[in-house]
Amino acid sequence: MKALIVIALLGVVTMMSEVFRFKKLLLPLVVVGLLAACGLAIGDWNTAIRYYSDMVYFDNYSLAFTSLIIVLTLLWLIISKGYFVSDSSRAEHATLILFTLCGGVIMTAYSDLSMFFVGLEILSISLYVLASSNKHDLKSNEAGMKYFLMGSFATGFLLFGMALIYGAAASFNLVKIAEYVQTTAAHGQTPMFVYTGVLLMMVGLMFKVSAAPFHFWAPDVYEGAPTLITAFMATVVKTAAFAAFYRLFSTCFGDISGFWAQTLAVISAVTMLTGNILAVSQTSLKRMLAYSSIAHAGYMLMAIVAMNKISGGAIFLYATAYSLGSLGAFACLHAISKYGDESIENLKGFAADNKIWAGLLGVIVLSLAGIPPVAGFFAKYYIFYGVFQSNFTWLVLVAILSSLIGVYYYFRIIITMVQPRSEKATVLPALTGAHKALLLISALLALGIGIYPAFLQGLLS
Amino acid sequence: MNPSLPFFVLATLSVFSALMVVLSRKPVHSVLYLIFCFFTIGGHYLLLNAQFLFAVHIIVYAGAIMVLFLFTLMFINMNKELEPHKSNLLKGAATIAAGCLLLVLVAATKGAETLPAISKTSDIGTVSNLGKALYGQYLLPFELISILLLTAMVGAVMLGKKDVE
Amino acid sequence: MVLLSTPVDYLPIAMMFVVAIGFVLFVMFATHWMGPKHKSKVKLEAFECGIESKGNSRLPFSIKYFLIAILFVLFDVEVIFMYPWAVNFAEWSKHGLAAFGEMLVFLGLLVFGLIYIIRKGALKWE
Repeated sequence: MKALIVIALLGVVTMMSEVFRFKKLLLPLVVVGLLAACGLAIGDWNTAIRYYSDMVYFDNYSLAFTSLIIVLTLLWLIISKGYFVSDSSRAEHATLILFTLCGGVIMTAYSDLSMFFVGLEILSISLYVLASSNKHDLKSNEAGMKYFLMGSFATGFLLFGMALIYGAAASFNLVKIAEYVQTTAAHGQTPMFVYTGVLLMMVGLMFKVSAAPFHFWAPDVYEGAPTLITAFMATVVKTAAFAAFYRLFSTCFGDISGFWAQTLAVISAVTMLTGNILAVSQTSLKRMLAYSSIAHAGYMLMAIVAMNKISGGAIFLYATAYSLGSLGAFACLHAISKYGDESIENLKGFAADNKIWAGLLGVIVLSLAGIPPVAGFFAKYYIFYGVFQSNFTWLVLVAILSSLIGVYYYFRIIITMVQPRSEKATVLPALTGAHKALLLISALLALGIGIYPAFLQGLLS
Repeated sequence: MNPSLPFFVLATLSVFSALMVVLSRKPVHSVLYLIFCFFTIGGHYLLLNAQFLFAVHIIVYAGAIMVLFLFTLMFINMNKELEPHKSNLLKGAATIAAGCLLLVLVAATKGAETLPAISKTSDIGTVSNLGKALYGQYLLPFELISILLLTAMVGAVMLGKKDVE
Repeated sequence: MVLLSTPVDYLPIAMMFVVAIGFVLFVMFATHWMGPKHKSKVKLEAFECGIESKGNSRLPFSIKYFLIAILFVLFDVEVIFMYPWAVNFAEWSKHGLAAFGEMLVFLGLLVFGLIYIIRKGALKWE
């Protein structure tokens, strides 16, 4: 709760930084504020308090996810320096980023559907603006517009679902809904409203996390938005969306999982196959990462399908590993796409120029692909193990198959990287210190988690 | 008089006007139908005895937001036929997809049973009771709404204002 | 005092609507029936200060209107939240200043927004 208040107030302060002329202090202020918020969140560990007539519930689950998205935002800030300095409206950018984060924190900690909705809206509205923040680029405008239309459409579904559930359970409170679902399910008389509501909420949430039949907006939006915003959306926002998804379903609808688990399993399988197969044929690195993020959404959905003792920790570990990997990959993309060309061919000769950094990028890509010694592998392992325990063996098989497809295009990055530079290629922009720092941090963290994955996984089990 | 007659009249009108929003060829007509649709939905709120919601709905949606819609329409150069021609395949696919959704929703609600009313009192939607809920139980979402409004403000200024420097 | 109201209480308002709409319709049709009809090209033209009308009225116009309209809507929403608060305030104020503080936080945050908008020059007409 303190973390949430700190972030919200920090957003207001950054908003005033330009008009009260302390713009120079902007970045240090944001960093200090976020560190404080993160400290406060971690300081509340094991307290599990419900605030304001049970509107938010900061248990370990939400504290872990809150700290995760704050840390990810801090890491993201490392490469965002250029973005904030060059633009005339950087105070606004920082404000919107902080408000997005604020929405994200609410989404990890809500204990009432009304809070969930408010959090989701704060997060989404800031993102619609951020996606189109490159005003003079037509593609960015298109991305913002598309995201807005699709997002509001999804919100409509979500609200409809919430209304039906409220109609049945007579409460927005997650605990009360859970009680209602449990008692009615025990007597085998769950009303149709609940089922329809669950389905509609699922549709809305799957839009937000870009799961397969609802993923069409994602590649266009990810490609059109400024690269740094894409990095933010693919990591912080996706993590928050999954935290909310898992929280809702694990708290409320666990007792009727027989109804939705099969559907979700099929969707998860379709999502990862779609993401991975379509990523193979992409020539733009940014689009490839967009499709890869769809595929990763499929893997994270598996944890919701499994819904057992270890899946909470597994989805946390997966979100961490995936976000770290994505941040590293997007840092590299941002470095090489300075001239607006995001083709994967740009990576040619990258390894020859920067041996160490290419190695670190390799580690990150391996983590994304899920190759053993790195974080991504263990994340996948726990997810698959949980699903296996819940008797969805076919889903595990599909997931392994699609991971193999994933390995193909992730290795394409590595192979392109070590190839000699082609004749016509322009000079590669050098990695700046910020990019190097982020690459180093995310690669080291990926390795560290790979060495001791049980720590993160065990936090929530 | 059948007590549910006003509901059916309003429901028919709102479905009709909502359809006309989509079907009319002229954008301004769509907007006018949308205003009408908002009024009929406001009528539903009145039937549910939610007067405050009705007032808000009329003031904010039918009043302010529709003005924004009209503004937006005037940004667009409406002299030309800008509507891109959609292929029949696309139309067919959209029809099937939307029809499937309708089918699923109808199938899901077909077996729906009537649930007992949540509240026994009929004055749950009055302004004063709404205030008690909003400033009591729902205090935190209410305060966070200010963050939401700030977000919208910053966003509007950022996107709508010409860059200086 | 709690205002209890049922849908029946709206009957006068509904009647007023019916009368208002009926009157407008009546006047519109009555003038059509009663007045003489002379249709000519000049008469059917839009009246523009006696000068011949030129061009098209559907011109794209400045985004500045739009920004102000959006900001208006935001503050409109803000003010609406004060209404259910104000209705109950007399009762709440007997139990201390908590209700006042609740609204103060809400308004305080939005006043920052207002300062931001003004200092940023979003309302300036250049």
